[in-house]
Amino acid sequence: MLSLKLAYKNLIGAGLRTWLNVIVLSFSFVIIIWNKGLLNGWNEQAKRDMIDWQIGGGQYWQKDYDPYDMFTINESHSVIPDGISDDIQNGLLTPILINTATIYPEGRMQNVLLKGILPEQKILKLPTDKLQKNSDEISILIGSRMAESNKLQVGDYFTIRWRDANGTFDAADAKVVDIFHTNVPIVDQGKIWLSLEQLQKMLQAPNEATMLITENNSVEKEEISGWVFRGHDYLLKEMDNLIKMKSVGGSIFYGILLALALLAIFDTQILSIFRRQKEIGTEIALGMTRWQVVRLFTVEGAMYSVFAAILAAIYGIPLLTWQAKVGLAMPEGTDDYGLPIAKSIFPSYSIGLVIGTVLTIFIATVIVSYLPAKKISKMNPTDAIKGKIQ
Amino acid sequence: MKKVLTIILLTIVMLNGQTPSAETILKKIDENMISKNQIMTSSMIIHGRRVSRTIRAKSWSIGDTKNFTEYLSPAREKGTKMLKLDDKLWIYTPSTDRIIKISGHMLRQSVMGSDLSYEDMMESSDLTNSYDAKVIGSEEIDGKQCWIINLVGKTDDLAYHQRKIWVDMKLYVPLREELFAKSGKLLKRMELKNIINIDGRWYPTKMIFKDVLKNGEGTEFVIDEIKFDQNIPKYKFSKAGLRR
Amino acid sequence: MIKFLLKGLIRDRHRSLFPILSISIGVTLTVLLQSWITGYLGDIIDYNARFSTGHVKVITKAKYDNSQQMANDLAIVGTNKLTENLDEEFPEITWIKRIRFAGLLDIPDENGETKTQGPVIGWGVNMLSKKNSDIERMNIRKSLQDGKLPTKRGEILISDELAGKLKVGVGDNATFLGSTMYGSMAMQNFVISGTVHFGSMALDKGAIIVDFNDAQTALNMENATSEILGYLPSGDYDNEIAHNYADKFNKKYSNSEDEFSPIMITLSEQNGLDAMLEYVSSFIGIIIFVFVLAMSIVLWNMGLIGGLRRYGEVGLRLAIGENKGTVYRRMIYESVLIGIFGSLLGTMIGLGFAYLLQTKGIDLSSMMQNSSMMMPTVVKAKITSTTFFIGFIPGLFSTIVGTMLAGIGIYKRETAQLFRELDV
Repeated sequence: MLSLKLAYKNLIGAGLRTWLNVIVLSFSFVIIIWNKGLLNGWNEQAKRDMIDWQIGGGQYWQKDYDPYDMFTINESHSVIPDGISDDIQNGLLTPILINTATIYPEGRMQNVLLKGILPEQKILKLPTDKLQKNSDEISILIGSRMAESNKLQVGDYFTIRWRDANGTFDAADAKVVDIFHTNVPIVDQGKIWLSLEQLQKMLQAPNEATMLITENNSVEKEEISGWVFRGHDYLLKEMDNLIKMKSVGGSIFYGILLALALLAIFDTQILSIFRRQKEIGTEIALGMTRWQVVRLFTVEGAMYSVFAAILAAIYGIPLLTWQAKVGLAMPEGTDDYGLPIAKSIFPSYSIGLVIGTVLTIFIATVIVSYLPAKKISKMNPTDAIKGKIQ
Repeated sequence: MKKVLTIILLTIVMLNGQTPSAETILKKIDENMISKNQIMTSSMIIHGRRVSRTIRAKSWSIGDTKNFTEYLSPAREKGTKMLKLDDKLWIYTPSTDRIIKISGHMLRQSVMGSDLSYEDMMESSDLTNSYDAKVIGSEEIDGKQCWIINLVGKTDDLAYHQRKIWVDMKLYVPLREELFAKSGKLLKRMELKNIINIDGRWYPTKMIFKDVLKNGEGTEFVIDEIKFDQNIPKYKFSKAGLRR
Repeated sequence: MIKFLLKGLIRDRHRSLFPILSISIGVTLTVLLQSWITGYLGDIIDYNARFSTGHVKVITKAKYDNSQQMANDLAIVGTNKLTENLDEEFPEITWIKRIRFAGLLDIPDENGETKTQGPVIGWGVNMLSKKNSDIERMNIRKSLQDGKLPTKRGEILISDELAGKLKVGVGDNATFLGSTMYGSMAMQNFVISGTVHFGSMALDKGAIIVDFNDAQTALNMENATSEILGYLPSGDYDNEIAHNYADKFNKKYSNSEDEFSPIMITLSEQNGLDAMLEYVSSFIGIIIFVFVLAMSIVLWNMGLIGGLRRYGEVGLRLAIGENKGTVYRRMIYESVLIGIFGSLLGTMIGLGFAYLLQTKGIDLSSMMQNSSMMMPTVVKAKITSTTFFIGFIPGLFSTIVGTMLAGIGIYKRETAQLFRELDV
């Protein structure tokens, strides 16, 4: 207790020097937490975007469906099982029917995937309510990337040619009713969204679907025979890998940042031990054991991190809260990774993250404070009290 | 007035009397064009975005179920062979010495970059069985009077649900064919020209095939030589024939 | 005088060794952080450059207008002459030709007939000649799962998952079936020399890598290529330099009338990377600014402490007749010397580590579910021109400022008071 009080007094007494160290250390706190929060935020955002736009709470794939095999995609749909029609009605599941097609905007031929979806669905964020029901005209939704690469605008018409379930050619003009913006390139590039009923009619495949997307919060994932369930672990694997890599790469950065702060403390410790030899000698002469003095200096050093944590909290909490509110603007267009990056990333800080960071810095400070202080235990008190350089 | 009306009515009756049924027309086409077998040398001119290419080939066929094609030029294509037996298709190239089966979606790919798919090429010409045919009018093409026959698919599994064929009234040779989507949208158009008489048959020796949805000039198909009812050795229509 | 100051510094270990050591560590950290953060945040751009965009890329105008199209009907022809010209006119840039294509891979049975087949996408890249090889650039060696890299024409690598699906392995034959750049049928036999893991689901399902010359032969693209990628000599993308090259090239070769004339585009004009570039550079800027600021405070603090420690000495010197200005200036000269030494040393050490991290990187693949793959799993540092001077900001500048501030005390206090602080 005595050493705590003494350490506190010594630090406060040192004035500016202490505060400079504390400021630097508090930077480390704030930047590390901010950065980790940003990465967490990106991770959460990207996953949320994928869940919102693409995968929902996981997907039931028709057993033959292979998203990477364009040659079998048209044979990979079957009748939606009877047992789940209630779930569809209640918004727990939404069926998607997929088929290849060719579009001819301005006579340029381009292969696309047609995706039929219920206009009234709420599971995916797609603005499907814009799709006209019961209309002879085919109304379609496309993403902004698709619109740009094919030079299409809302209200434009173009020809779609497809083959129905029997292989018969069919073609019709479709009207772009809405162009949506999404961070998930996979639902945008090369995809044309239209009403499920419309597509079923076009393909002569009544009541059929290629996949069933579950609502994100529905817990029960029953087995549906003839359909394979693909959960988040499967669908988000690539994302998880990337984030894991980013976070390990980030820790090097935190390491360097921490080293900076620790360098400051280390320097201060060495200098203060040098400058305060007389004090050390006196303390030993007054009856303190060497180890008590070592402890005093260590506690002094460690106290920097306590002060820094307090200071970091004073300016860091408002700063980080503000950042979490306004987000950090991010660029679009990292499509080669094919992973979603939002226009703004909102950092997300967890209690574990904060406590973990504080503890790490605290332990590290204790270690660097102890190392120079250890020297005291080898000091000769008589020389020390004379202020003789040792 | 009464006189005019009578003449018009009479004309209609007469025309009706003269219009043969679609079945008859299609039968006459078959009589004219289909032989026991045929051996043909042809050139396909493909107008690409960048260059036009001419591919020459010789083919042996029996009806439309068996066909063997060997490419003659250009050098890169020379020796490539294709065998079609009913709805199966194999391709052989001498450089690989491989026989590869073309199936499923590969059949929907374009043949040698042309506006024709393998499937278009393999389609059965047995129109009378698959389609309900009806004469829906007449039109003049290049100074020749033609019947227009409209064909609507009887079954659901045809690639084209609807076709229109313009048939020369005199020679019973098709001069134009249009292929439609189920919705009635025109997809492809074929023009048949340069009709000559070969062994007593009237035969178009030039065809222009065009995907009308797509920009471009389409594909030309020119028959350089055609012989009917020849002796074709059996091995031609076997997979072993591909390697010979 | 410098000699005198140096002697003083060398003899008093506390005045030289210790501050120089601290400054060097600080500068090392700064240099390391700058290069690390540049590499770490820039890896998306670097990855794009390696795999798809290059630093600059030459394609046909038609392909540029219709970038979605994968088919090679819009490829560049006459590339032998064109690359010759490029090599001559822009010798400092590394020019790489690549072909991208799609088709079917067909596996024969004992009679040479189809046993299994599957759709594939492919890369034709230079793997055989040492010059301009893409093996390292595309991380092919590391992504190898089984077998070996192609050593002669006619050998290919296929993705491991595809190998499993088609039930083939190393040493088996496979025939590629696709379209030539003119749309004719392309058929070519290959021997599978190895399997690779890309780390991206789409590629792992069915991708193949063939030698560039084989791809040319197979696709009738002799003297043609899908794209020519150019890499700047520094290895880093520099927007201004890239744009200069592109302007120069386009003025000479591009013809707006001819849709098949070549056009050079920069990395920033592809995949929406311009925004990414801007973002990365401003983000790096902020982080480095904060770090340098913090490091400056640390070193300033040290300069300050170092100055304060010497009040006794200063008092003595003033007592024996030196005037305040001289003492003050000498202290500052000393700090300049210490700052330069420390910064130089720190920059050298930092560059050493950064170079190590740039060439070797930190391999994170062991932490991934799939241990080796083509996607970047090695995070690397990146040395840029900034790396060479960034350390001097805290190292030299802050040390001097710290000493200056500490020295102000000399003017404030009376000589007697300073002298007393020596007080042995």
